[in-house]
Amino acid sequence: MAAIRNEIRRLRFEHGEMTQQELAEKIHVTRQTVNAIEQGKYSPSLEAAFRIAAVFGKPLESVFHYSGGE
Amino acid sequence: MSFREKTAWISMLSMLGIYGLYFWRVIHAGPLAAGFHFGSLLVTIIALVFVQVVLTIAVAIFTPREADAPPDEREKLIELRAMRIAYSGLATGVAFACFFGAFDPPLVFNTNALLFILVTAEIMRTACLIIQHRRAA
Repeated sequence: MAAIRNEIRRLRFEHGEMTQQELAEKIHVTRQTVNAIEQGKYSPSLEAAFRIAAVFGKPLESVFHYSGGE
Repeated sequence: MSFREKTAWISMLSMLGIYGLYFWRVIHAGPLAAGFHFGSLLVTIIALVFVQVVLTIAVAIFTPREADAPPDEREKLIELRAMRIAYSGLATGVAFACFFGAFDPPLVFNTNALLFILVTAEIMRTACLIIQHRRAA
């Protein structure tokens, strides 16, 4: 199980059903990378994580949750 | 399927096909037909470059935005992992070639053995790229 979970899918839905492609273009990565992040298969860099949070206008901890130490 | 995965497929399949044909002909020609090997290798390299360039351009025409974009952080990580694995294969192969080189094999045999190791390492690299793209890692 991934140590970093995220709320990207829900946030995309709440932001006018934003597509993975639209989010990918906003944070300058490929759609496949957004899909991998969303599924928890790839943990983004800190910079990409901040960019994702900025797109949704949320603090980082509202988008990503670390569960490795729990 | 992303542009980079498609180009990895093109690279791997073209190498398997074209170099596969080359090595099959080398084995059947025998290790001492040096003139044949040089001509055949030249044709192989030209064919490989031609096939890869044409197919990559064809794919880029259908996905121009992806083709122009630089690799993102995940794609760079995938490339680094694939390169690390392929390098291990290459280093192991070269070590074997050095060992068997001590038995003084014919130069043409040695050259083809080194080429085979290089091609195998490159195929390993592209296979690793494809596997990681498939797993969305």
